[in-house]
Amino acid sequence: MKNCSDEQLIIDYLKGDEKALEILIKRYLKPIYSFTFRFVRDSQEAEDITQEVFIKVWRNLKKFDQNKSFKTWIFHIAKNTSLDFFKKKKTIPFSNFGKEEGKNTFTEMLTDTTPLPNELFERAGVAEILNSAMEKLSLKYRMVLFLRYNDHFNFREIAETLGEPLNTVKSRHRRALILLKKLLTES
Amino acid sequence: MRKDYEKLFTNLKPVEPSAGLFDKIILTIKREQGLQHTKRLIFGFVSLLLISFVAIPFSWTLLVGQVESSGIFYFISTAVNDFGTFLILWQNFSLAILESLPIMGIIAFTVNMALILFIVRLFLYRKRLLLAYPLTYERR
Repeated sequence: MKNCSDEQLIIDYLKGDEKALEILIKRYLKPIYSFTFRFVRDSQEAEDITQEVFIKVWRNLKKFDQNKSFKTWIFHIAKNTSLDFFKKKKTIPFSNFGKEEGKNTFTEMLTDTTPLPNELFERAGVAEILNSAMEKLSLKYRMVLFLRYNDHFNFREIAETLGEPLNTVKSRHRRALILLKKLLTES
Repeated sequence: MRKDYEKLFTNLKPVEPSAGLFDKIILTIKREQGLQHTKRLIFGFVSLLLISFVAIPFSWTLLVGQVESSGIFYFISTAVNDFGTFLILWQNFSLAILESLPIMGIIAFTVNMALILFIVRLFLYRKRLLLAYPLTYERR
């Protein structure tokens, strides 16, 4: 059962198999926790939000459109729950989530094909360098990069998760990569 | 290029939730399920009780109307006033009284009252479960 697809587990749960829900929760516990942790950077708050996300998922599982991806749906809930948390706390400026200004869709959608310098991977403390570079990026850039390279989402999935147009995500991704590369090579 | 970055991101320290988070989530879901079940039960009890109370005047009116039109009082008063004749013809009298009984009215009213008693009894039986649910959860 552990190898069942998300959709199959949902069907099983809706038919009354409680175990299916437990497997689904286990499968997404770490990714959702890690996603919310990137938002709030506090383990206790991330756990509270994660818990809320799974309760919302359980409450709305009957309404879930099974033609859509469960993965993007649950991450979308996680993103909205994290934003609600910020709204309640009012600790970060909402401009962080706003749309980019002065974008040039055509040039920004071109892919940055230059590879990462090999010496970067050989450097000692690459984790610290990457962590510190990521910390310097704004939340919206960080999110796109994490979803793409840590959670292995494609652009369409990122767009659905963040509720942004596909082209915005692509241009944001490009800008984030340019900034990250700059920060990595500077350090 | 994507592979490069994916390789790079494997260097990030993974963030792990605490060991008890999964159990906490399951427990919260179970608690919510319990609360939903309780709400449904209370709603069912209250609805049935309301329906039964609304039905009382109707079943009572039906019973009274049928008793009045059945002539059962006439037979009973005759039996009481002329007790000697009643004793001689008790079999015929009893049959006449039985035939004139307002069966439908009696059944409707009895079922109505029985339903109220049953609901109240069921509520009292489940009271601890219904009213003490949040407390029993807190104690766990």
